Amino acid sequence: MSFSNIRREDASRAVIVHAILLTYTLVALYPIFLIVINAFKTRKGIFRDPMGLPNAETFSIEGFTKVLAKSNFELFFYNSFTVTIVTIVIVLLLASMAAWALSEYKFPGNTALALYLAIGIMVPIRLGSVSILNLIVDLGLVNTLTALVLVYVAQGLPLAIFILTEFMHQIPKDLKEAARCDGVGEFKIFFAIILPLIRPAVATVAVFTMIPIWNDLWFPLILAPGDGKQTITLGVQQFIGQYVTDWNAVLASLSLAIIPILILYLIFSRQLIRGLTSGAVK
Amino acid sequence: MADLKLDQIRKRYGAVDVLHGIDLDVKDGEFVVFVGPSGCGKSTLLRIIAGLEEITGGELMIDGDVVNTKSPRDRGIAMVFQSYALYPHMTVYKNMAFGLKLDKQDKSAIDARVREAARILQLDQLLDRRPSELSGGQRQRVAIGRAIVRQPKVFLFDEPLSNLDAALRVQTRLEIAKLHQDLKSTIVYVTHDQVEAMTLADKIVVMNGGNVEQVGSPMELYHHPETRFVAGFIGSPAMNFTNVRIDAVAPGKVTVSAPGGIKSVLPFEVPQSEVGKTVELGIRPEHLAPGDEETLSVNGEVDVVEKLGDSTYLYIKLANGDRVTVRAPGHSRIKIGDMVTASAPAGAAHLFDGDGKAFVKVDCPAEFSAEE
Amino acid sequence: MAHSGPMTDWRKAKLPVIAFLAPATIIYTLFMIYPLLDSIRLSFYATPSGGEAAFVGLDNYRTILADPDWASVFWNSFWNNMKFFAVHMLVQNPIGIALAGILSLPQLRFRNTYRTMMIMPTMLSVVIVGFIWQLILSPVWGVGADLLDIVGLKSLFGPWLGKEGSALITLSFISVWQWVGIPLMLIYAALLAIPDDLVDAAVVDGATHFEVFIHIKLPLVLPTVAMVSILTFVGNFNAFDLIYAVKGALAGPNFSTDIMGTLFYRTFFGYQLQLGNPHLGATVASLMFLIILGGVLFYLFAIQRRLARYQM
Repeated sequence: MSFSNIRREDASRAVIVHAILLTYTLVALYPIFLIVINAFKTRKGIFRDPMGLPNAETFSIEGFTKVLAKSNFELFFYNSFTVTIVTIVIVLLLASMAAWALSEYKFPGNTALALYLAIGIMVPIRLGSVSILNLIVDLGLVNTLTALVLVYVAQGLPLAIFILTEFMHQIPKDLKEAARCDGVGEFKIFFAIILPLIRPAVATVAVFTMIPIWNDLWFPLILAPGDGKQTITLGVQQFIGQYVTDWNAVLASLSLAIIPILILYLIFSRQLIRGLTSGAVK
Repeated sequence: MADLKLDQIRKRYGAVDVLHGIDLDVKDGEFVVFVGPSGCGKSTLLRIIAGLEEITGGELMIDGDVVNTKSPRDRGIAMVFQSYALYPHMTVYKNMAFGLKLDKQDKSAIDARVREAARILQLDQLLDRRPSELSGGQRQRVAIGRAIVRQPKVFLFDEPLSNLDAALRVQTRLEIAKLHQDLKSTIVYVTHDQVEAMTLADKIVVMNGGNVEQVGSPMELYHHPETRFVAGFIGSPAMNFTNVRIDAVAPGKVTVSAPGGIKSVLPFEVPQSEVGKTVELGIRPEHLAPGDEETLSVNGEVDVVEKLGDSTYLYIKLANGDRVTVRAPGHSRIKIGDMVTASAPAGAAHLFDGDGKAFVKVDCPAEFSAEE
Repeated sequence: MAHSGPMTDWRKAKLPVIAFLAPATIIYTLFMIYPLLDSIRLSFYATPSGGEAAFVGLDNYRTILADPDWASVFWNSFWNNMKFFAVHMLVQNPIGIALAGILSLPQLRFRNTYRTMMIMPTMLSVVIVGFIWQLILSPVWGVGADLLDIVGLKSLFGPWLGKEGSALITLSFISVWQWVGIPLMLIYAALLAIPDDLVDAAVVDGATHFEVFIHIKLPLVLPTVAMVSILTFVGNFNAFDLIYAVKGALAGPNFSTDIMGTLFYRTFFGYQLQLGNPHLGATVASLMFLIILGGVLFYLFAIQRRLARYQM
């Protein structure tokens, strides 16, 4: 490309633009970077040379060994993972059924029901926590992952139904009419034809459901704070609260919580972002 | 108004060359149409002239100035987009005033220009409406109005009629032609529709695969296509083509034949080296007529008949498998299955060599010539 | 492609329809709507020690809003929440909009890489973020001072998180640091939806990229900006995790970082010397609900109606 054809203003503008973006990226990433590199240092290294990378002298994994010894990180991961996955599966199933019914069958009260279900998008579920706790206690589900799943499903349904309803509106009429002409029953139409078609929306729903659950502190704190049912977020919070002066351990536990998320994020970032943006702009 | 000069304009996207050195001279006040199939590069060329794409090589000159590195605003151009690209959140008035406002022109001057353009395009009643409240044809006029108020050196139109329905298209075509007469502006117009090109242009540029096939007036392109591509592109229904063998060559005459059909002497200047080779013969449906009065005749069974009222198109299958379209009079009684002979005067024929280049026709009769 | 429309004779499909709708509606009602309504109901009751719950009308509300012990704490947390929200509106959203605008510039190299990197903090748990910053800003470690030293502002450094006057603002900025990703992504997506043609037309009309942003892009994404604002509002008045992680339920120093979420937790669950009171907790929750509802209704009726989504 001949440089004489690039306008001078364009070149200087490009420099400014990238400077701004780089600065902000640094602001966004450096704190995370700092924590992770210091987790691999000795205590001395952390304090003497916080901004430097771990070298032969300062490298150490004592923080990690302590964390893994003194707390049950694998269990916490397992809990978070289980709750998240189970919730997503249930939400996807229930929400697509409801979205299908709302978009396909014009029964009286359809609009009212849709509105009713949509209220949950704006209203924070936490406000009902007093009663939720009572309910969980009455059901004998305190300190169980089941309690978390139930609550998170209720929390995730409104937005999932909303996203999926929009999606269902775009399924071509011909498919459904052809099936009905063939005499296929309504249940079968849903499970055999419709459900496989929502695959593109699954990513969007999964993302919107997953992030609030994985990072939540409130409900694990209130409903499942002990008995080995802690999620990773609660686990980290409790651990740090306990070992607050042990810098190695604290940094290591934070890193253990961050690194898997970051790796997952980098792998799935495109789908994640597509999911977050496609549903929300409606 | 200004003239426009393209000198070896090249455009490359990554590793792909999309424009291979375009040369063109547009005189002040000329209506030039770029026409060609999808992907031929005509829209890219238009965007390059506008300044929306960068030039990889060559020079672009407007009114004598080299404008390669100038931003669109500094080139003195205005553009009408295929999708109209009206600002949805602004009224018609504001849409048209936007460019002038950015130019920091004074309010009364802006008002005068906007109202004048609105008058010309009959938009006076619509100035306070938003684009969403307008019909397709009205939006189109606003897009044109937005271009007019800028009083540009060159108007650029990017397939402006594609989004209109057929009736509106014809009407708007007339309006654009009238606008050109009134404003006497230099216009560069892109379309894939050769009817628009033929009716609107002073000069047509036929493009194919990033190259210019031919530049000429509509009649020149119709009567004297220089390549097989141009011959097949201009004219609707398209020219018929069939392969023939060159049997013999004489000064100003060539004898051609095709198995099971044509044998004729045509008035072309063909070099001796072409004897024995297979070339393409082209003849337009409107130059063929049922009957065998003329020298060049074909014979075959009628496959399909299309009756349009003013004319009838017969689709004939020749013995060698080729299909030929013949334009018959509207009252023709020929039916599917009939064996038909159709013929055309030798002077109406076109001959193209193995590379698609036209052989030079000799002593072209007046009715098949573009000369005044 | 023909768009689907609702099937008219749903009566033939009564059983499937009910079966499809029931599970979601039941769980939603049971675990979201019912608790919310029950909470509100609880706020009208009180349980004297050892006794039965009795209806007390608006007593609890009077207590929270006017009783000297409670009112000051409540209003403190309310205004803190407003400050928290103000910082987000004034810092988070403009930065998000500006970055989205820059990212949507045509022919920007590494666009996707930048976007992926800039959104990373949003993916982390609020708790993690709180701790990261707590460490970085800790005077004991000193990294914060070192970083400021690089830009020559070392003298500004102080134990911001520990001081009454600066703790809330600092936490607000930390929250902004984390959540900029949301307006960034949503407004970026909205900007992408603007047809390239419109930008081209504006450029041909003579607009610089900045002018295109101000006159064309920004007005067209205003509905999204409004939506982001109401989401920020709801999110801020629901915030809890960050303050709790960094400051605990007492939201010190001296309640300077107390917002409605922490007040709610403390009131309902109890903390240290203070016994939990579910009725008062429910009252706080109901008040939070009213505030949020007020904001949402304001948005729906005063704002969303006026901002048309333009057909582009």
